[in-house]
Amino acid sequence: MFRVILYSLWKWSRLIILLGAVAAFVLPILSVQGASSDAVNPLTAGELLRSIQSWGVLYPVLAAALGLLVAIATWAPDHRGRHVHALSLPLPRWRYAMLRFGSGSLLLTAPMLALLLGAVLATRLAALPAGLQGYPIALALRFALAVAVAYAVFFAVSAGTSRTAGLVLASIGAVILVQVLATAAGTDLNLLGPLQNALLNWPGPLAIFTGRWMLIDV
Amino acid sequence: MSRQLTCILWIVAGARALGAQEQEAILRARADSLLREWRQANALAGLQDSLRLAIRLSGRDTIRAGAVTVIANPSPLPLAQAAAAADAEIERYFGTAAHVFTDHPLLVQAIDPDTAAEPPRAPLGIQIPWDFDVARVSRVLLTMADLGVADTALRAWLGGPVTPVLDTVPRRERVFVQLVTAPSHAVRQCFLGDLGACRDALSLVGAPDIVTRWYGPAERRALVTVDYAGFLDRGEKQIAFRSCASGNDAACLDLLNSLPPGSLVRPFDSDARATLLQTAAHLGGPATFERLLEIQGDMGSRLAAATGRPIDSLVAQWRAGILRSRPSPVTLPPWGVWLGLGWTAVFATCGLRSSRWRVQ
Repeated sequence: MFRVILYSLWKWSRLIILLGAVAAFVLPILSVQGASSDAVNPLTAGELLRSIQSWGVLYPVLAAALGLLVAIATWAPDHRGRHVHALSLPLPRWRYAMLRFGSGSLLLTAPMLALLLGAVLATRLAALPAGLQGYPIALALRFALAVAVAYAVFFAVSAGTSRTAGLVLASIGAVILVQVLATAAGTDLNLLGPLQNALLNWPGPLAIFTGRWMLIDV
Repeated sequence: MSRQLTCILWIVAGARALGAQEQEAILRARADSLLREWRQANALAGLQDSLRLAIRLSGRDTIRAGAVTVIANPSPLPLAQAAAAADAEIERYFGTAAHVFTDHPLLVQAIDPDTAAEPPRAPLGIQIPWDFDVARVSRVLLTMADLGVADTALRAWLGGPVTPVLDTVPRRERVFVQLVTAPSHAVRQCFLGDLGACRDALSLVGAPDIVTRWYGPAERRALVTVDYAGFLDRGEKQIAFRSCASGNDAACLDLLNSLPPGSLVRPFDSDARATLLQTAAHLGGPATFERLLEIQGDMGSRLAAATGRPIDSLVAQWRAGILRSRPSPVTLPPWGVWLGLGWTAVFATCGLRSSRWRVQ
């Protein structure tokens, strides 16, 4: 059963996976282009770090995009077919969802491995100034975790009903509305700040996406 | 005839000389009078300032804790405990030189944190909201405890107030990053182990060729064409500026040497020198700062004498300490992996428990 679900998901999402893998492989290599040993004007350590940092913004974006697109691709055929096929299978719902989650996770290992490969290659190719070091494995591990978290979040959202999605969106909208009204009324109520801290700082669920994503650092 | 003419010329020249002398005497008298007026005005202004300060200080509380004296307006601010905590830190860091602060009280203006009223235009000292706790007030007091009041040369060398070094670890990490990334030939050489370059980069020796000691040709060109372009790309310096931009290093050097003294950016920022001072205090013991205040000369020889060891030994200790402070590169905490996996499991479980197929 897992192989069938995996194959069907591969058919639906292979373009996303292939493009994602290529992007994940190329991104680290592009980020060190100024540090290649044959560069005419090799970057100084400070310039290289600034360049790496600016490229680093793209890693969490790529991780979130891969998670989102594969999660949508995982459930899209079921949504289109109104879940008739899934309901006709002799499987409990949780097991079916787990197989879908597992197949998506397995396919996402391709871009994760591609990033690891690209990062290792990039650090080998780069002529690093004294004092700087490459961290391909740490970066690849972080990318893999970010992809996994993004995929799990969007998988949960996609698996829900429109009502659930509506409730989530309405809750977010309500918080923003209350904040706007509180600010307009001149009160000190600050809902967004603590919420942002809870989500984006450790141990929040989205903390993995924040901070510096440095392939090369001091 | 010619004798008469010579005589007349002598008389005219003599009269002119007498006139010039008279003129000089008048001008000198005017200058002296101006100086007297200026001194008198200055004395009056000083008296006025003292009276104003005396009026402002009247009705103030004076809090003493060891070497620290705080003058503040009456408020619920926990100044006594904060001053005691600050004093402990000041005496720990400055050692026997902490007595300097007995003559230099720290002025504090406690303000109401809840009022929308404008704070006073000329505050007594630093303004602190009176809902601050002991730790925060103590921290503020520490930032005011500037030993530079007793040694302006030390403050000028450091590039800021000479206060106890707080947040040691992040500061040392920042210096490590500078040691690796600062666009300076001297700093790079220092990182690679050249102690002479470290001395130069830390401004410990006053050398006439400091520009070439600090920066290499490419860095000099970058300084001229980027950092000081607004100042140097104008007027009579424009030709030299263009020559420098096109690769003439001598022109770059001339332009950098033409900058006003002290305005050339130093390779390290004040954090590096503050950590050196901290290393010196650690090695030299409690009397380091007191000795430092007594010694004159360039900072290298002053620090060497204050710590009682050769400057290279001090710089080597500082460098080794900074190299040990390499910051953690990728900001993923050790338990970040487990948290990431945990959140993935949580959200995946939410997906498994969807109500979509629930039979009504």
